Amino acid sequence: MSLSARMIIVLTFVGLLSGSFLATVDLLTKERIELNRQREIEEAILQVVPGTHSSQKLYEEKDLTVYGGKDKKGILIGFAIQASGIGFQGKITLLLGTNPSIKKINSLKVIDQKETPGLGAKINDRESFLKFWDNKDCSNLLTLRKPAVKTQEELGYSEINTVTGATISSEAVLNLVNSSLNRLRQLEKEGELSSEEQDVN
Amino acid sequence: MSTRSIGQEFVKGLWDDNPVFRQLLGLCPTLAVTGWVINGLAMGLATSFVLIFSSLVVSSIKKFIPNQVRIASYIVIIATFVTIADRFMAAFFPLISKSLGPYIPLIVVNCIILGRQEAFSSKNSVGRSFIDALGMSSGFVLALLILSSIREVLGVGTFLGLQVMGTWFKPWIIMILPPGAFLTLGILLGIALHIERKTKARK
Amino acid sequence: MELVAIFVSAILINNFVLYYFLGICPFLGVSKKISSAISMGLAVTFVMTITAVVSWAINHWILIPHKLDYLQIVSFILVIASLVQLVEMFIRKMSPPLYQALGIYLPLITTNCSIMFLALLAALRNYSLAEAIAFGVGSGLGFTLAIILMAGIREQLDLADVPEPLKGAGIALIVAGIMALAFMGFIGMIK
Repeated sequence: MSLSARMIIVLTFVGLLSGSFLATVDLLTKERIELNRQREIEEAILQVVPGTHSSQKLYEEKDLTVYGGKDKKGILIGFAIQASGIGFQGKITLLLGTNPSIKKINSLKVIDQKETPGLGAKINDRESFLKFWDNKDCSNLLTLRKPAVKTQEELGYSEINTVTGATISSEAVLNLVNSSLNRLRQLEKEGELSSEEQDVN
Repeated sequence: MSTRSIGQEFVKGLWDDNPVFRQLLGLCPTLAVTGWVINGLAMGLATSFVLIFSSLVVSSIKKFIPNQVRIASYIVIIATFVTIADRFMAAFFPLISKSLGPYIPLIVVNCIILGRQEAFSSKNSVGRSFIDALGMSSGFVLALLILSSIREVLGVGTFLGLQVMGTWFKPWIIMILPPGAFLTLGILLGIALHIERKTKARK
Repeated sequence: MELVAIFVSAILINNFVLYYFLGICPFLGVSKKISSAISMGLAVTFVMTITAVVSWAINHWILIPHKLDYLQIVSFILVIASLVQLVEMFIRKMSPPLYQALGIYLPLITTNCSIMFLALLAALRNYSLAEAIAFGVGSGLGFTLAIILMAGIREQLDLADVPEPLKGAGIALIVAGIMALAFMGFIGMIK
């Protein structure tokens, strides 16, 4: 057998073997990976829209996805918006939970961020930042309170507390929330958020 | 053909021929994922999986592979095991898979693995190649553990997520950021070489 | 504007070497002389740009339509290995002295993590062809920048009194650490 023929046969054989192995592994793990992904989204939605029994993806565009949280009877009890924007050091991805009239924020969850550990990364910290978003009235534009105050009571009606030493990260989150709320209201007015047949996919 | 004993074949990967500290291979993942001990450990184990199985396969079929296509064949074999490791982690350890991100697929270009196939598995028996891979993997995991322990303890005061430094300790955040990685590895390399010189001088 | 942002951040803010820790082996190996650093940097940039195009094509025309994404790792690395072979043959024909100068580091471009990372990240972030090219050229130039800076510093270091155990890789890494620290100043450049 000539050398070239041998080379081609060996390479083809190795390639085929590799391909079939990987196809098998893909079949074995595909479902599990998809399930993990779904579970992650559902758990997050449950956190920001408490009482959700089932959720549904209502709208998707670049850097913004809107989910609807429904109770056992299938009635909409809140929206969960996943939005991404640029922070101080990289992309920030948030999950914002609101009530159906988009007048109140249930809570805020930071899904992904690459801010400076110890400073900007504190936007993911309950005590330093996230707790101030709980049950916040958002019928008016939200603003940032600078410098930061110590207690919830000192904050104005539409004010959010800044993370000390991380103004840019805090502002990034605030802008992302405000723009997401506006977009959500716009989408609702345009009728884009009507329920479809399928569940979260 | 190797003339070392089985024991020596294994131990050399831990110190004398340690892939990171002595051969200076696989530095990309070593620097990238050692900010947290759990990440370093996961990366080390994933790499070990790929190295051991690739070595087993390569040394088993080395007689059938023509010289000209050996590198291409090794690459396909290695890439196959890397994909398996990547999928397996995404399916069963989604949290770690997420934090290691695209660095798991990068195992395919980890010079340690291709280097070992070229330098050893293609020229030695299956048994020896297995021991060699085991030794090199252990050396790699050891290096990752040392580096990540230093970085996590000094950088945030925890080890495997558990607080080990008291509140008196003000963490050096820089340690888990890129500069900390470079500096720590550089100093460790210096220490390793220094120890080697001292032991050579004594012999 | 998005393209410019991708391009600039790849060079300065998320520099492949100093932020993502990619391409460390050639970074330490070829950065002893500025001239070889420049050649290596440009070779890598060239391979990266073409890889960006070819891997995008394979991903979008073959892998995704047929749900074969699990073959990404295998196909990308094969593309890179073949490209490097071609570049090697090309340089050997066109400029034998350059071929000699780059020596063993030319085939090593294949294991340069930065190229594989580039292909994977462009696929992960679903970049369009234009974005992938901007990313490829940007990260290649970022690598080139880092390696030239490092070579410049090391040429000076050769004349300095470095302690024995730190000579070579040790001091190079420490310098890299300081450079990484400096590059952190670029963070926040893109709003």
